[in-house]
Amino acid sequence: MFPQFKPAGDSALVIIFGDTINESINRKVHAVVRAIEKANPEWLIEAVPTYTSVYLYYDPIKISYSKVIEALRPFLLAKPKEEEKKIIEIPVAYGGEFGPDIDFVAEYNGLSVDDVIEIHSKPLYRVYMLGFLPGFAYLGGMDERIATPRLEKPRLKVPAGSVGIAGKQTGWYAIESPGGWRLIGRTPLKTFDPSKSPPSIVKAGDYVKFIPISEEEFRELYKQEWGEKQ
Amino acid sequence: MIELVNVPSLLTIQDLGRYGNQKFGVPVSGAMDEISARLANYLVGNKDNFPLLEFVLRGPTIRFHSSAVFAVTGDVEVRLNGIPINPWESYWAKRGDVLEVGTLKSGMYGYIAFAGGIKCEPILGSCSTYLRANFGRALKTGDILKLDYAILTGKEGKKLPEEFIPKYSNESEIRVVLGPQEDHFTEEGIKTFLGSTYEVTAESDRMGYRLEGPKIEHSEKGADIITDAIPLGAIQVPKSGKPIIMLADRQTSGGYAKIGIVARVDIPKVAQTRPGGKLRFKAVSVEEAQEALRRRERTMEALRLFLLGELRAYKLKALGEEIVAFIKVEKKR
Repeated sequence: MFPQFKPAGDSALVIIFGDTINESINRKVHAVVRAIEKANPEWLIEAVPTYTSVYLYYDPIKISYSKVIEALRPFLLAKPKEEEKKIIEIPVAYGGEFGPDIDFVAEYNGLSVDDVIEIHSKPLYRVYMLGFLPGFAYLGGMDERIATPRLEKPRLKVPAGSVGIAGKQTGWYAIESPGGWRLIGRTPLKTFDPSKSPPSIVKAGDYVKFIPISEEEFRELYKQEWGEKQ
Repeated sequence: MIELVNVPSLLTIQDLGRYGNQKFGVPVSGAMDEISARLANYLVGNKDNFPLLEFVLRGPTIRFHSSAVFAVTGDVEVRLNGIPINPWESYWAKRGDVLEVGTLKSGMYGYIAFAGGIKCEPILGSCSTYLRANFGRALKTGDILKLDYAILTGKEGKKLPEEFIPKYSNESEIRVVLGPQEDHFTEEGIKTFLGSTYEVTAESDRMGYRLEGPKIEHSEKGADIITDAIPLGAIQVPKSGKPIIMLADRQTSGGYAKIGIVARVDIPKVAQTRPGGKLRFKAVSVEEAQEALRRRERTMEALRLFLLGELRAYKLKALGEEIVAFIKVEKKR
C-alpha cells in the first residue's frame, strides 16, 4: 500500500509512492514536493524528490517523527498538475573529439553513427531526479537500441557537458569528473553554475530534448556560455 | 589575516554544510565532526556555523598578520610561539605570533576557529569546501586567509570544562535506526550487522567510510534499489555485503540498499574513528535517537551560554555521581 512512511534515520524520513520507475508515480512525487515546499513548514530542512519517493530532511529538535507524518497528511493529497511540459533544449555536438565512444556505441548495436545520433536525439526525456553529482539529471526514455555497457575502466577526467550512455541510461556530466559512461557527444551549455540560484538549468520534473549541432556551433555557443575558448 | 606557513595534510574551510540544493545533486558537505567544530566556534564567541579550518590528523602552522582570538579543538599538542598551550581553550594572538598545531593523538579531524570566522565567498549559501565540484579548494602552504571582523576583547581565555571534552575511542558502539531498506536484508543479515564488529578501512575519506567485517546477507530483493536519496550516516550495503557509512561529502543519491542510518548523535564518533578502528552497531528506535539528540543539544546550548559567560558551571555530587550544573549568571544593573 502506498504511500508508505519510513524513518531514514532521526533527521529524515522517506515517503514512498511506488516500487517501479514510471512517469505517473514520479509526477506524484514532484506534486508532493511542490506542495511541501510551497507551505515551507518551519521544521523543514529540504525535500528531495527521487524516482519513487520523497526524502524529507527535517529538524528533530523542532518536531518528532510522528508529528512530521501527521503534518504531512494534507500535502499527500497534492495532485500532479495537468502541466505544460517544460522542455529544456540541450544542444549536443555528437561524435569526434566530443563523443569519443560514439563509434563503439554504433558498432556494439550494429548501427551507423548517424543512426545513433538520430535515435538519441529523437525522444523527449523526462528528468526523474537529480543526484549522483551536482547538476546530474537521471533521464528516462532512452531507446534501448543504443544501450551500451559502461567502460570497463572509467576515465579519470570527463569534461563538463559530456553526454554519455551507461547501460539503458543516458545523461550528461554537468561538472567535470571521473566517469565510466560511453561518451557520444558534448553540450556547450553550462548546465550547472553554483553562482546562480537555482544552480541547475534542469530540475526534476522537466523534459529534455537533445538538439544535434555542428562543431562550429558548439564552439560559438561554448564561448558565449563559458566566456573562453574550448 | 593569517598565513598558512605549513600545511602537512588536507586542510579545508568548512561550516555546518550546504542545505537546500540536494535536489540539484549538490552534496551537503560541512564539518565531519559537527560537535568539535561547533565547540571550536563557541570557544571564540562565534555562532555554530561560522567558517573554520578542518584538518585531518596533522594540523597546520599559522602565522598571524593581525590580532585574532582562536581556539583549537582535537586531542592535539598546540604551541603558540613555541610555548605549549591547550586545545579546547581560546587564546589571543597578536601580529607575528606563530601557532603550531601538532598531530592528533586520537581521532581523525581537528578544528581551528577564529573569532569572527574565516572570510569567504559562500557558494550556494555555504563556505563548506567540496573538492569534487571545486567548491573551494584544499588549502596549501603560503595561502593567506582573511578573518571576518569581530570584537576580540573578552573572547580569549574561554575554556571548555574538562568533563565535556569529547573522548575519541578506536572502538565504539554506534546507534542506528534500521531502514529504510531493511527488507533488502535477510533476518540473518541484520543479525550479522548488529552482532558483529566492523573495522574502518583505509578506503575512507570525507565522502564515506568503508568497513570490513562479516558479510551481510541480502534478501531476494538484492543489493540494488531504485536510486533514492542518501542521508548523513546512511549505511549502504553493496553486493559485497560490506557496509559503507556515508558521511559529509556523500553524493545526494545512490542505488545501494541502506540497512540503517547512524543516529546523528553518534556521527562524530564515526567520523573520528581511524582506519583500523572498530565499530559495533546497536539498533535504536527513531524516538530514542531523537531524544538522545535533543538531550545533546540541551548540553550544547548550556556550553554555548557558559562560554559566553551567561551561565556558570558548578561541579556537584548528586546520588553519588559527579555532575556539572549550569546556573544563570545574574547580570548586575
